Amino acid sequence: MAVNFRASARKVWQTAASIKTGVVLLILVVIFSAAGTIVLQRPNTEPDEMQNAYSPQALRILDGTGLTDVFHAWWFLTLMILVSCSIIAASVERFPNAWRYFSRPYKYPDESFRRVLYPQTSLAIADEETGLVAAERALHSLGFKPERVVREDHFGIFAERHRISEMGVYIVHASLLLIFFGAVVDGIWGWRGTLNLNEGETSSAVELRDGTTRTLPFAIRCDQAGQENYKDGSPKKWWSKLVVVKDQREVEKKEIVVNDPLVYRGVRFYQSSYGPNGKVEKFSITATPSSGSGEKREISLGVHDTVPLDADTTVRFAEFIPDYAVRDGQVYRRSNELGNPAAHLVVSSKASGKSFDVWFPPLEEIADNSKAPYQLQPADLQMGHFTGLQVSHEPGQWAVWTGVVLLGIGLAFVFYVVHMRFWAVPVRDGKTGKYTLWIGGSANRNRDAFGQRFDDLVALLEETLSTIPKTSPSEQVATVAGH
Amino acid sequence: MARVKAEQQQPTTGMTLIVLVGLAIAFLLFMAFLNVVKSGNLLSETNLLFAALIFYAGAGALYLGFGVTGTESYVRFASLATWLGLIANTAAVAHRWYEAGHPPFASVYEMLLSFVWTLAVLTLVAEKKFGVKVIGTVTMPVAIVGVVLMQLLRTDVHPLVPALQSTWLHVHVTLAMLAYAACALSFALAMMFLIQDNMKTETFLAVTSASTLTIYASIVLTRFENWGGLSLVAWNPEQKSEVLLSKGVRLFVTIPDLGWVMTLTLLVVASPLVLYGLARWKNNDSFLTLANRAVFISILLQVMTLVMFLVRARDGRYPSLDADGLFATSLAASPFILSGLVGGVFISLLYLLLLWRRPDLERLLPNADNLDRITYKTIGLAFPLLTLMIAAGAYWANQTWGSYWSWDPKETWAAITWLVYAGYLHMRVTRGWRGRRAAYFAILGFAVVMFTFFGVTYLLPGLHAYA
Repeated sequence: MAVNFRASARKVWQTAASIKTGVVLLILVVIFSAAGTIVLQRPNTEPDEMQNAYSPQALRILDGTGLTDVFHAWWFLTLMILVSCSIIAASVERFPNAWRYFSRPYKYPDESFRRVLYPQTSLAIADEETGLVAAERALHSLGFKPERVVREDHFGIFAERHRISEMGVYIVHASLLLIFFGAVVDGIWGWRGTLNLNEGETSSAVELRDGTTRTLPFAIRCDQAGQENYKDGSPKKWWSKLVVVKDQREVEKKEIVVNDPLVYRGVRFYQSSYGPNGKVEKFSITATPSSGSGEKREISLGVHDTVPLDADTTVRFAEFIPDYAVRDGQVYRRSNELGNPAAHLVVSSKASGKSFDVWFPPLEEIADNSKAPYQLQPADLQMGHFTGLQVSHEPGQWAVWTGVVLLGIGLAFVFYVVHMRFWAVPVRDGKTGKYTLWIGGSANRNRDAFGQRFDDLVALLEETLSTIPKTSPSEQVATVAGH
Repeated sequence: MARVKAEQQQPTTGMTLIVLVGLAIAFLLFMAFLNVVKSGNLLSETNLLFAALIFYAGAGALYLGFGVTGTESYVRFASLATWLGLIANTAAVAHRWYEAGHPPFASVYEMLLSFVWTLAVLTLVAEKKFGVKVIGTVTMPVAIVGVVLMQLLRTDVHPLVPALQSTWLHVHVTLAMLAYAACALSFALAMMFLIQDNMKTETFLAVTSASTLTIYASIVLTRFENWGGLSLVAWNPEQKSEVLLSKGVRLFVTIPDLGWVMTLTLLVVASPLVLYGLARWKNNDSFLTLANRAVFISILLQVMTLVMFLVRARDGRYPSLDADGLFATSLAASPFILSGLVGGVFISLLYLLLLWRRPDLERLLPNADNLDRITYKTIGLAFPLLTLMIAAGAYWANQTWGSYWSWDPKETWAAITWLVYAGYLHMRVTRGWRGRRAAYFAILGFAVVMFTFFGVTYLLPGLHAYA
């Protein structure tokens, strides 16, 4: 039983580590993500739009299978976990071998290796030392650092470059895992929401995507916000002056624009929109006494402000309705969008105790503006503005960016850094007793360019060999002693 | 295109073609010069683009001449023409950049401008560095179509909306252009590999017919209106923009009878595929001869359709189903239908080139092993570029929308492209996939790239509204 279990565990492991599994999983990811771009997705679509696009039955099926929110469905998450497992398994399965290869470079080629290696060549040499010296010099002049290798009674020269290239693919896979890790951290601990602030307002309540509110441990105040336009009227720039307030102290200040957020304690505030908030900042009116005596006055007031017109009379800005409708002699607020605004002012006289309603625009069926002791004329309406901030907290993003940088480095190693190795071994022919220098090379990619390099080395070696004088006797002795 | 066909039927030899092309270029430049003298503005973008068009067209003709006759001297003049076209193109890019104050990546027009530029550079690189001389036969016509499309699209400089004012935008789009161009190159190389790998000519016939069929089927399926009309986006000539009924809803006008023409062409371009199927089924090669004739007829019909489309959609006022009155339309309103039609003709012509000149092509192209290796190298270039492109886009999105990944269709499809090429690399490195299968994968990868670039923008909704 135990053996059976081990065998099946081994089988599961091998399946997980196989390239076939990896590719099948990739194909599944491709199919489901494609589905997620074709079927309308709940997070970016209004509910009515969904209902218009699909029949109720189809919508029920789509919702039930999670196809209307593919990228947050449990099975998509499972798929991503499986992909990660496959990457881990494949890397763990292959890594030890690669690590051995990396940590213990193969420096002295044995006979069987020498037989099959391509490219390789042999040059006639006078004796071992000449060959070794020539190989060292030639490799040196090609920019390598050759080392002399001694194996029992044999000498050899080994030189290599960019061994790290062998690790490239593991760097790539590890960086992908790091990116996934960061995304998972963000999925669990991260959040996103919006915060709309009127100029001068302070708030710490962020409205999250799911409709709930999150209270920050600090507050944000918007001192000023604005928009700059191009000549053709399209928006050029939105900006907001934000202040972080903590324990009644201003701890940080920044003017943010689109593409340049304010970051405080890992929470980032982005400029995302700007517009009228439907509230009046200042309403300027001119007031002329109805009696005709007395001069015209200019006053300006905010909502609920009361301003005296003379010793007896005051005017109060009672209400501002951004989008009004009149029905059955009543004024209704149709919506909070600034569309069809109306202002309600009340002129009161202390002495008589009478109040007169004044509406702009004049609404005859509600009130007669001319009855009031002052004739009011609207001059200017200054609307307040809000700045729309996107707020997000993504604690995993550092893992993501580190992963991205590593991914770039890893890919550079994988595609553009070639691990090149050269070996040179003097070989004595058993029959004739003559020496030849065996030279071989290997590269882990871009083999045709490497072949050219190998030919260059051989040409250089031949040239070097022709310039080296016959080895002096003492060196020969040394070589013999080395045997 | 007409000139191209004439050449295929009676291949000219020696200097004749060069002289003809040279004279044509000189004539067109002279005409352009007269125009310039009249308007007094030498270095306007339109003039520069016109010059680029002339040189690219000359280069295209010479490359095609080389493809057909194998005369080496054509290539020298062709690359000279490409160089000149590239200079004019570069000047146009620089002019645009200066005028707009930002690198030219903000609209479809500006993207095309940069794309054509990249294509010309890559053609020269492939020719000089890798010795793939015939590549211009494919890339230059694409560049010509690009420049013609640009003439039709709006050219006024649009200021950048706040979200686009970022250095990362330029990094992102530059990388995207480079990556897509590298993918396009790998696609062309994979096709050449299949030719060198002795893939049967009738297989190319089937593929050609299937591709043109896809083009016409997608037009007919999405745009055929009742009683044989073809619906096109309405165009407001004063504002140089599409007419919108409400936010994101475009107004369509119906051109009568054009729908029937499209349907007829659809049937004819499908016929070679049907005949190919019959030939395979009955094991009878006489169907193939018939199929090749059908391709020829389909080209004539496609050209006719294109002309009818050009004539009727260029301007004129047509009724709409959604609103009362007559509305104008313009070629600029339907760039994708136009490029589809031109592309169909182009693909079919390439097939004819293969059908008639296959031995010459095989002699001229590098051998299959080399092509396979170069394809892999190109993808080895495209893949890191794709990776960096996605990373730069994510970083930019993070700065603008506060999230580095929001599963927007364009993002998702970029990831899918990346995964397809990742699959290719894994199969090649660990499974030793070479040759045919690797070539199919490269072709599939490019198909996905095309969908990401064009399909997503015009079929799927999302944040990437400006590109």
